[in-house]
Amino acid sequence: MTLRWPALVPPRAAGAFAAAVAALAALPALLDLSAYTHNLVTLTFLMVAGALAWNWMGGFVGQVSFGHAAMFGVGGFVAARLLLAGAVPAPIAWLLGGAAAGVFALGAHPTLRLRGPYFSIATIGLGEATRLLFTYWEDFTGGSSGLSLPIDPDLKFRLYWWGLALVALVAAASFLIRRSALGLQLLAIKADVDAAADVGVSATFHQDLVFALSGAVVGVTGGLWASYFSFIEPNDMFGFDRSIGFVLMAVIGGVGTVLGPALGAVIFVLLRQYLLASYPQLYLGLYGTLLVLIILFEPLGLTGLLLRLWRRAARRPEPAPAAAGGGR
Amino acid sequence: MPLLSARALSKSFGGLRALDSVDLELAEGEILGVIGPNGAGKTTLFSLIAGSLAPTSGEVFLDGARVSGLPAHRVVRSGIVRTHQIVRPFPNLTVLENATVAAIHGARRAPGHARERAAEVLAFAGLADRAGHYPGVLTLAGRKRLELARALATAPRVLLLDEVVAGVNPSEAMALAALIRRIRDERRVSVIMIEHVMPAVMSLSDRVTVLDHGKKIAEGTPSDVVRDPGVVEAYLGRGHAEANP
Repeated sequence: MTLRWPALVPPRAAGAFAAAVAALAALPALLDLSAYTHNLVTLTFLMVAGALAWNWMGGFVGQVSFGHAAMFGVGGFVAARLLLAGAVPAPIAWLLGGAAAGVFALGAHPTLRLRGPYFSIATIGLGEATRLLFTYWEDFTGGSSGLSLPIDPDLKFRLYWWGLALVALVAAASFLIRRSALGLQLLAIKADVDAAADVGVSATFHQDLVFALSGAVVGVTGGLWASYFSFIEPNDMFGFDRSIGFVLMAVIGGVGTVLGPALGAVIFVLLRQYLLASYPQLYLGLYGTLLVLIILFEPLGLTGLLLRLWRRAARRPEPAPAAAGGGR
Repeated sequence: MPLLSARALSKSFGGLRALDSVDLELAEGEILGVIGPNGAGKTTLFSLIAGSLAPTSGEVFLDGARVSGLPAHRVVRSGIVRTHQIVRPFPNLTVLENATVAAIHGARRAPGHARERAAEVLAFAGLADRAGHYPGVLTLAGRKRLELARALATAPRVLLLDEVVAGVNPSEAMALAALIRRIRDERRVSVIMIEHVMPAVMSLSDRVTVLDHGKKIAEGTPSDVVRDPGVVEAYLGRGHAEANP
C-alpha cells in the first residue's frame, strides 16, 4: 500500500508565504505610500489578525462566537494601562494585554458545553456583560470618557510592521493548527462532539485551549489598536458591532478555511472605509445583503467562490463532497 | 482475573430502570455476545461501560482499575472503545483522517506515528484504497468498516461493537463477521458485541449474555443459551416456551 503524506509545511507554500510577507514589509518603501494608505493597511493588518484568530474557534471548532469583542477590549485596556503607567515597552504591553485576554477567555468555560446557536447566544450575553462591567469600572477604563494614551507618531508609523508581524504569526499558526493533530481533533469536535469523545478527544480541553488562544490573539490586536488610535473607550472596544465584525469578516472570506478570513477582513475594512464616509446607511445594508447571499449560495465565502472559479478554469472535476471546513 | 468486569451496573432514566444490577465479566481474548429484545438495555450497557453515560449505581473495572465515573474520552484512553449502531464517521475528514484522529489517543499502548498506525488499521479493515475519500462516498458496509477501523486505531484492549453486522447484505455480513474474528485472533482485542443477526453472534461468541427489560436473564455458551426457556420466552412469549420445552 502506498500512501503519500502531505508535508506539514509544503515547501512551496512556505516559500510563497515568506515572499508575501517580505513584499508587504517592503511595500511602504517601494511604493512611497501616503500616510493615509500606510495607516489603512496597518488597520487592515489588525483586522486580518483578529479575523484569523476568531476563525480558530468559529471555523475550526465550529463554535461561532458573538463575544470576541470582550477579549479585544480586555487586551486593549490592559495594554493601555500598562503603557500609561510607562512600566513596560509597547510590545510587552501588547503581549501582556493578550495574555490577560487569554485568561479572561477561560471564563467562557461554562458556555463551551453549549453548541451551535445556544453557544452563540451565550457569547452575546458574555460580551455585553463584559462591556457593561468595563464601562462602569471607571477607575480602570475611564468609563464612557475612555482613556487617552500619549500620542506617538513614530510608534503609529512602526505599527505597520508590528501589525504585519502579528498577521504573519497568526496566519502561520492557522495553517499549522489546521494541518496538525490539534486541527484534526478540532474538526472532529466540529463534526460530532460525542463521536469525538468516543475516540478519545476531549472537547472540553480543546475548546478551552482554542478559545483562550483565539482570545489572546484578539487581545494582542486590541493592544495594537489602542496604540494606533491613542484613545480607547469601552463602548467602542467592547461594542457588539465589533463582535459582529469578526463574524462578518470570517463569513465573507470563508468560515473554517485557513486563510479565507484574511481575505474577508481586507474586503470588510475597504468597504467600511469607502462606504462609511459617503453612504453611512448603505454600508450596513450591504453587509447584510452580502451575508445573506453568502450563507445561501456559498457557505465557504469568497474562498469557496474562488475555488469554484479556479476549478472551472482548470476544468477539474469537483472532489468528493466535503462539509464546510474541509476545504482550504 | 477478568480483563473487564462490571458489577451491579444500573441506570435509571426518571422512573424507567433501563439497566438493573447487571454483572458482566469479559476474559482476555474472549468474544462475548450480548443479545436481547429491543429495549432490553443493551446499548445502555455499552454507554455505561464506555463512559458516554454515568451509571446510577455500580462499577466497571478494566484490569482491576476503576473506569466508571471517567468521562468517555478518558475511558477510551484507558483502553475501552465503542462503535455505534448508527455509524458516525466525521464527514468533514477523509477516511484516513478519521482513523488518524482516533490513533492520536491510542499512542500510549501502540508506539509509532498516529498517521502510520491509522494507515495500518485501514489496511487491516480493507479500506486502504479508500484512504483519501470522504466517508460520504462509502457504502454502508464501508462505513461500518470505517467505524471498526476508527475504533481499532485507538489501540483498544476491549472493543464494544453495537450491531456492526446488522443492516448490510449477507455476503458483506459474513465478511464483517470474519473481520471481527480477526480482530480478536490477530490483534488480541477482547470483544463484546451486541448483535441481532443470530448466525453471526452464535458463531462468533465464546459466551452469550441475554438481557431483557434491563436484567440479565441468561448467560452461557451459545448453544446453552438458545435452549434456555427464559430466553425463548423473552423473545417469543410464554406460549412458545411451554410448547417447546
